[in-house]
Amino acid sequence: MLISTIFSKRKFALSMIILSIVLLGIAPRFAPPYTIISLITILMYVILTLSWTIFSGPTNYISLATAALFGVGVYTSAVLNKSLPLIVIVIISGLLSFILALLIGSLTLRLKGVYFILFTFGVTALIRNVIQWWETHITLTVGRHVPSAGNETVYAYMVTIYALTLLFIFLLQNSSYGMALQGIGENEDAAEHIGIDVTRLKVLTFAFSAIFMGAAGAVMATRWRYIDPTIAFNPLLSFLPVLMAIFGGTWLLGGPILGAVIFTLLQEYLITEYPYLYMLLMGLILVIVILYLPGGLLTLIMRLYIRLVIQWAKTKFQIQMLKTRWAEEWRPKVSMALAQWRLRIQWRMGMKRK
Amino acid sequence: MKILEGIDITHRFGGLMAVDNANFHVDQGEIVGLIGPNGAGKTTVFNIVSGAIKPTLGKVKFKGEDITAVKPHQICHMGLARTFQTTKLFTNMSAFDNIKLALLFGNPERKIGRKEAEKEINQLFAVMGMLSDRNKPVKEMSLAMQKRLEIVRALATNPQMLLLDEVMSGLTPKELTQSMQLITQLRDRGITIFMIEHVMQAIMGVCDRLIVFHYGSKIAEGTPSEVVKDPTVNAIYLGK
Repeated sequence: MLISTIFSKRKFALSMIILSIVLLGIAPRFAPPYTIISLITILMYVILTLSWTIFSGPTNYISLATAALFGVGVYTSAVLNKSLPLIVIVIISGLLSFILALLIGSLTLRLKGVYFILFTFGVTALIRNVIQWWETHITLTVGRHVPSAGNETVYAYMVTIYALTLLFIFLLQNSSYGMALQGIGENEDAAEHIGIDVTRLKVLTFAFSAIFMGAAGAVMATRWRYIDPTIAFNPLLSFLPVLMAIFGGTWLLGGPILGAVIFTLLQEYLITEYPYLYMLLMGLILVIVILYLPGGLLTLIMRLYIRLVIQWAKTKFQIQMLKTRWAEEWRPKVSMALAQWRLRIQWRMGMKRK
Repeated sequence: MKILEGIDITHRFGGLMAVDNANFHVDQGEIVGLIGPNGAGKTTVFNIVSGAIKPTLGKVKFKGEDITAVKPHQICHMGLARTFQTTKLFTNMSAFDNIKLALLFGNPERKIGRKEAEKEINQLFAVMGMLSDRNKPVKEMSLAMQKRLEIVRALATNPQMLLLDEVMSGLTPKELTQSMQLITQLRDRGITIFMIEHVMQAIMGVCDRLIVFHYGSKIAEGTPSEVVKDPTVNAIYLGK
């Protein structure tokens, strides 16, 4: 109950969202260039994780198509980059990912459970291999160069996409459709029988979440400068958002953001400090988080926060107790002693005067 | 007037004949009971009628329209709501949100404002006598309450006909009488009721007509007193 009273408030979520966007927006003014570069990577993971949770968070359909939807953006950007301005490419990439997700969705969303997971992963592999085949046999190119857009521009684009993703999630969560998605996750049959067009809602949500992945991909291509199908459709990008969301907690907006940020930072730190033990340590941390914090890192923070709130209430109560004890027990005693002392002095004075 | 009609319905699960060439109908304003031993195909009939599964053969008509291939949410929009044998509620939501979802998505032709929705939901809870439980998480509710909440949720979609799948099993005698009263009240408000039930007291008390199923086919039909005297029904239930 405490959690819901403190955290479900829209105003709190909204203010945190706006704060994060403002902070990211003004960061280039004082942060060193290296920080901006790592912020771009972090933002990429945050956007992917957030857009993954749009669909998979409430419905519990684990999608592994992230790499395909992101890769379409990367590849579109690589193909079109020389002929069109970046903003147009980003929009086209988003639309293409939307269409691809619409196709994948209408093919797969009648599948449930593990079949859905496998199918989405299969689709990603299929697309990667088809493009690879196309490039080596038809266009006879192996990789493609993408002109750099400059880190500042890339950063600005990523922050904008991040803000738009958050805006979309915020609007969705506060609409009846967000609730309906949760209903689908909890009991699809029931959702269907109370009049929710389950298939359409699932496919559309999946497709809308893909827009942000595609747009992020288009921007990231200009940051990487060289891409080929294995980079664009890296299967790791299908798994990482899932891990990051589990790591941070899939509920609420804070979970995926926190998960992606800490996961990326941890990854970078471990790679540079312990290059040989990196995978081992990463695995260990994940296992510990899943075992002891099933709701993700966010639950840990919640717990600490709640403890803090309780502690604060306790302290307040103790102060109140001290006050009442002062008023009821100690003050009469003190005032009595003071009065006695005063009277005694007066008596002595009187003695002297005589 | 027939509100629901099943014509020559057959459904196979692999080699198992769950429903075998069954014909049945429900008239407007009736309370019809669907009874039969376990595995007789009663719930399969409900699943076919509500659109959850498509029958192998045969046709279902609701208000004269063929709904055999219509999706469940569209059937719901047409005014046919149901409950489930094992309750299928949104357990991580509050009771209120369960009903709200049904109210918002069950009436697509209406635009329902926030205040209006709240008022209507409160009314529905009041009808079922569970206004005080409206903010409770479903997880913390007893089975009887969950079953009642499922009826509220079905009612929120503004149905003309209600399919009730064993809503009275596992209730205490007091709850049973309440539920029976409630079902009669619903009928008085113009909702046709088609119910699967095992509790004899409830069946005899509220149903206008009974349909008896055995091994997927209809073996008897008639008023409760007629059905009780029927020799085949007696043979199935009591043995001979």
